[in-house]
Amino acid sequence: MTARKNTSIRRAFSMASMGADIAGSYLGYALQRAFLGETKSRQKLKSTHTRAARRMRDEMQALRGTAMKLGQTLSLQTGVLPDETLAELATLQMQAPGMHPSLVRVQIKKSLGREPEEIFKDFTPEPFAAASLGQVHRAVTKEGEFAAVKVQYPGIRDAIRNDVKLFRTISKPAQASGHLPKVAIDELETQFLAETDYQREANNIEFFKRELAPLSFVEVPKLLRKYSAGKVLTMSLMRGQHLDDFLASRPSQKVRNELGTRLFDLFYFQVLKIGTLHADPHWGNYLFQRDGRISLVDFGCVKTLSSATTRYLHDAFLYSGSIHSDDFRQLMETYYSAEGLKLLPVTRRALLKFAQNFYRKVYPPSPEKDYRFDFGDRDFLNAYLSESKNLFRTKGMMPDLIFMCRAEMGLYQTLHRLKAQVPTSQIVRKYLR
Amino acid sequence: MTIKKTPQKKASRKPAKQTAVRKRTPGRRAQNKQAIRNRIVKAALNLFQTKGFDGTTTRAIARKAGIAEGTVFNYFKSKEDIALYFFEQEVGHAVASVRDNPRLRKASLEEKLFALVESQLEYLAPYERFIGAALLHALKPSSPLGPFSHRAMELRHRYLGFVEELIEESIPKQKQNPLAFLAPEVFWIYYLGTLLYWLYDTSEDKQNTLAFLDRSLTIGVALLRKGKP
Repeated sequence: MTARKNTSIRRAFSMASMGADIAGSYLGYALQRAFLGETKSRQKLKSTHTRAARRMRDEMQALRGTAMKLGQTLSLQTGVLPDETLAELATLQMQAPGMHPSLVRVQIKKSLGREPEEIFKDFTPEPFAAASLGQVHRAVTKEGEFAAVKVQYPGIRDAIRNDVKLFRTISKPAQASGHLPKVAIDELETQFLAETDYQREANNIEFFKRELAPLSFVEVPKLLRKYSAGKVLTMSLMRGQHLDDFLASRPSQKVRNELGTRLFDLFYFQVLKIGTLHADPHWGNYLFQRDGRISLVDFGCVKTLSSATTRYLHDAFLYSGSIHSDDFRQLMETYYSAEGLKLLPVTRRALLKFAQNFYRKVYPPSPEKDYRFDFGDRDFLNAYLSESKNLFRTKGMMPDLIFMCRAEMGLYQTLHRLKAQVPTSQIVRKYLR
Repeated sequence: MTIKKTPQKKASRKPAKQTAVRKRTPGRRAQNKQAIRNRIVKAALNLFQTKGFDGTTTRAIARKAGIAEGTVFNYFKSKEDIALYFFEQEVGHAVASVRDNPRLRKASLEEKLFALVESQLEYLAPYERFIGAALLHALKPSSPLGPFSHRAMELRHRYLGFVEELIEESIPKQKQNPLAFLAPEVFWIYYLGTLLYWLYDTSEDKQNTLAFLDRSLTIGVALLRKGKP
């Protein structure tokens, strides 16, 4: 199967065949079950899940568009997919088909007006990384600076619109039942389309360069505006390794703890201090340097939390009293009414349950002196995945809280892969008012 | 397209074989003739684009080019003749831009075909309106631009011959799909379809045409190979 397809119809076909394949694989399970004992059957179910998950991931990677992100969201919010599938999907990033050098050349010429060789001192026609919706090329500017040139795949905006249109159609049942509110799809579409806007991303880079300056261990690229326009975005080249390569060099527990702590620190600095997150805290968006510094690479999907959300997080994090107190209830109600929403009893119960089972464990309000939370704990991550799924599915959930939870999911998964032990509460306390 | 540019091709009305012509530098007289020819073509295209193909007369072309109407006839029989000359130039340019490009020597077939069509579209871009009219015109059986005129056929053969060459050098015969011999003819229809798509593409910078080209060529080339794509 070739990896490149377009048009709604083709994608619909592909999605349909994906459904057929998963159904096929489940059908196979149902048939086999008759011949297998109880325990074996359970194992088999799990491997069927995983196989279906792989299949789904491969298929979505072939579509390489919005479909997979939508699939991920749909599954998070409706729980139609089992945890194994979710774990596979979480490793996905928005990708576009690869571009051959001639197409890259045309895109650069259309955006910057001249051939890459005329613009740069040196330009590598082969990409060194896939970026959201395009690919990244190495270059050296006329001033002699090493640069990363991000080039967008043509027509991606329209492709996204088509996908969302299709998705709206196939998710009608979930919308009707209220499990997938229309606003959620709207929000996703806005977010996806925002990612195609390189001008906006350019502004984001400058914003984070400025705002993250206090964190000395974080490196943000410098925007090279002169070399950016249209479908081309150029910034200084970031150094460092991707998580997998970094882990392959077998870093010691101490180093992993150090890095995990920094990632955690970076995350909560963004949430609590600037109220804006640079991207999904997915490991693909970081580069790790030998000296323990962290480079940020993708600024396409920036999320700004509302001021009410930031205020609420400041109040609710490490809340010292009982979360079942009237005072805490007041806190939640104030937050909801500030956003013009009403806090339903069912939502409140779900939030409290989540806080009790989960936040209280990761962020104990009064930790012992050298307290560190161990993110290497597999059971914890699985429990978190299923708990958060319940939370997403609850009616009347605040969109910002869903976002936060999803972002945390990315962070925790990264920390889990690092097997890092992190002084969670201490870091959060640093940034609380 | 500047008028004074050194001509890549010898000034000849017959569609010249474009290989090995560039090395001989034409004499001053030939250069002069070529300059006038270019001036006429430029004026004509300008008018085709603004006044429409049907609304343009040879007299208007002559006036625009700043020469006598009789002089126009020394070079071209009719405005259709001018249009055909333009398309011959266009094809010659596109073929050369793929064949003479060292960067494409090791490129995939998809990329070469992409580069070919893209360079045609780039060449045609300033005259979009005229291309639309010419496409319609070509549908008339009696039109010199149509598929049944001798010159138009010759031009098409030259173009498709090159496409065939590209396929040949990328996919050896024994690895080709048994129906691959039809590929050039299919490519012609594909090319016309692409032109139509491009003409009606309202996306910014005609980005959708690029995506269309890229994806359809990937699928198309996969079909050329033996076995399941």
